[in-house]
Amino acid sequence: MPGFDFSNYNRNAALHAKGVPLPKATSTGTTIVGCIYDKGVVIAADTRATVGPIVADKNCEKLHYIAPKIWCAGAGTAADTEFTTALISSNIELHSLSTGRDPRVITCMTMLKQHLFRYQGHIGAYLVVAGVDPTGVGLYTVHAHGSTDKLPYVTMGSGSLAAMSVFESTWQPDLDREGAISLCAEAIKAGIFNDLGSGSNVDVCVIEKDKPTQLLRNYEKPNPRGEKERNYRFPKGTTAWLNQRVISKEDMKKYVTIETLSGDGNLAVGEQMDVDV
Amino acid sequence: MVSSNGVTGVLGEDGIHVDMNHLKSGEVNNSELSPVAAHFEIPLTKNSMAINFKDGVILGADSRTTTGAYIANRVTDKLTQVHDTIWCCRSGSAADTQAVADIVSYHLNMYGVVNNEAPSTQVAASLFQELCYENKDALRFDNPNWQDPMKVLKLMHLQTVPVYSIPLGGSLHKQPFAIGGSGSTYIYGYTDAHWREQMTEQEGIDFVRSALQEAIKWDGSSGGVIRLVVLTKKGAVRHLYLPDTNYTGPGVTN
Amino acid sequence: MTMLLNHASHGDGIGYSFAQPTAAPVQQHSFYPYTDNGGSTLGITGSDFAILAGDTRSTSGYNINSRMAPKVFKIGGDDETGEGAQIVLSVVGFAADGNALKERLDNIVKMYKYKHGKPMSVSACAQRLSTILYEKRFFPITYTRFWEGKGALYSYDPVGSYEREQCRAAGAASSLITPFLDNQVNFKNQYVPGSGEGHALEPKKAEPLSRSTAEGLVRDAFTSAVERHIEVGDYLQLVTITKDGIEEAFQPLKKD
Repeated sequence: MPGFDFSNYNRNAALHAKGVPLPKATSTGTTIVGCIYDKGVVIAADTRATVGPIVADKNCEKLHYIAPKIWCAGAGTAADTEFTTALISSNIELHSLSTGRDPRVITCMTMLKQHLFRYQGHIGAYLVVAGVDPTGVGLYTVHAHGSTDKLPYVTMGSGSLAAMSVFESTWQPDLDREGAISLCAEAIKAGIFNDLGSGSNVDVCVIEKDKPTQLLRNYEKPNPRGEKERNYRFPKGTTAWLNQRVISKEDMKKYVTIETLSGDGNLAVGEQMDVDV
Repeated sequence: MVSSNGVTGVLGEDGIHVDMNHLKSGEVNNSELSPVAAHFEIPLTKNSMAINFKDGVILGADSRTTTGAYIANRVTDKLTQVHDTIWCCRSGSAADTQAVADIVSYHLNMYGVVNNEAPSTQVAASLFQELCYENKDALRFDNPNWQDPMKVLKLMHLQTVPVYSIPLGGSLHKQPFAIGGSGSTYIYGYTDAHWREQMTEQEGIDFVRSALQEAIKWDGSSGGVIRLVVLTKKGAVRHLYLPDTNYTGPGVTN
Repeated sequence: MTMLLNHASHGDGIGYSFAQPTAAPVQQHSFYPYTDNGGSTLGITGSDFAILAGDTRSTSGYNINSRMAPKVFKIGGDDETGEGAQIVLSVVGFAADGNALKERLDNIVKMYKYKHGKPMSVSACAQRLSTILYEKRFFPITYTRFWEGKGALYSYDPVGSYEREQCRAAGAASSLITPFLDNQVNFKNQYVPGSGEGHALEPKKAEPLSRSTAEGLVRDAFTSAVERHIEVGDYLQLVTITKDGIEEAFQPLKKD
């Protein structure tokens, strides 16, 4: 890997010394948790992404795929969690292909910690790694500086204290699948409601031996957008325009293929986006 | 105070606040770094110790890992095996000591395979020393003003029964017993007063356990359970002492 | 409105300048008691009413101090419930200063009535508040506050510069709400469809709002601000002043 180009970092640091604010990265001021149960492991996350006090994304995904039976929840700098997990996911797959074995959680954790340690905390990824492998169930936290912990229940992110209070008061050693899922969801909700950096919905991922991994996207939606009181549809012609040019479908067909879709309400999109009307 | 450009800071001297801001922003290099925040990490401050006795050596440690005032792990295992019969206690930055222990473990295992002979404790100690000495700037860089600048790695081996301690600078000290970590300052007097040559195994266990109990009592950064590893000719035996029972048991756990 | 106080290190990240190089970096540690308690307020007036609304969340950093800390206060009431008041004040920024300011103004308005045997007029009270802020320079680290009565709305900066306005948003989410108000109250960027060709359209004329329209806008402004600003939420306190007196209502907002 060629590595990072830090030249602008140094420039920005020099400018910052003269009083210019540093650029902000999207931070997933987050609540993420994980908990093992008799046959597997559950991880969960909230879905709010923030830039300072502004909500950048109300329904982002913080549960990342590493391998079919290894998943990762990320807190910290959004870009760092995404790229780090993608990189390790790729390396894990190559490793799995070359060894001919299923990947192990501890392998993934070790790769992550060595990668993060090399960058001395400059890669701001705080992760919960969970999975099931031939050696059993694994659940770890990995901090940005490269330290790791192995525990039966873990929390990370700005809502980690709120979430941990749920685990420390209600966790039991003999949880089953449903118990673990609802405990994790409760912990995330504690973060959603008591930590300003966390909010919106609960995502859950359940990994169990001999069962397909389940990603329960928006497992709970405790914060629905209320109905708006007034209608904000503008009559056609409300906006002024400087110039008008009509391009016909026939003209467009010279450059691109055009398919006409039926209906105007049912747009064909990959994932329906929540848009306020 | 959170200002509009997302810079958090005013309560800079307060370790709690600063570290949480970092957890929250997830950014180590946000603007307006306060001294502690710049070096945010998970340290294993606390307390660890190792002694030798008549038939072997004992390592002991509390189980607390903190980020500022938050206990990130209350059941940490700081007694780390780096080869069949060689163990170390870790104190200082968790990321640094885990990385160092992993690298040493790798080299010792390689040594065992290449030479078809188990490495001696001295070899292990030299490896630790070299890593700490050669990388002292990097290792020091990350916790220059941490309350516990001592990165002490103590090693022991059941045949030769020495105890080595390696402070942050990378010097190496062979001692009959060694203590380190933030809690150790509270028990220099205690250990000096109670240490004796040629203790029996039980006397050694009691010595380490009660010294750690004392350190946990006085040092806020130490706490949780007490873990021991007793290394004798029979092998490694783990002990666990819980605060629920005033650190009297359950004792042997494997 | 003139912003006399430019708190550089805590202000918005725009309009910065290069600091003059100083000597050796000196680190000063000092007690800094002021915090920003977040929250947002919004005021709209019509011909025969005025609305002042605010959320009731109080924050520090990423923590919630209280989910029910109202920041719209009745001024000059006959008793502790505020009964009989004709003036309402709201303060955002540092809540402790806001409370202190409210107490001061309340005392002044009450003393005025006691001394003069008649209630203080809204314009007199507005001028008096400006004087309080100006003489107690830098006392409140609050951003904008308004207050008003009987269809009048005044907004202030922290050192007393004030102005009578038709509508104003202040606090954490003011930058989110203000453009919404510009568009929906003053009909900025809206033109009358078919009134001309291209850019030569007739701008839509602003008219006095009805009370129900204004209340709808206030509620929509807050439910939307809650969606996108983390320091706004919990409950909406909606205070409406008419010739018949003050009506106060609370409604839940999202709590995440």
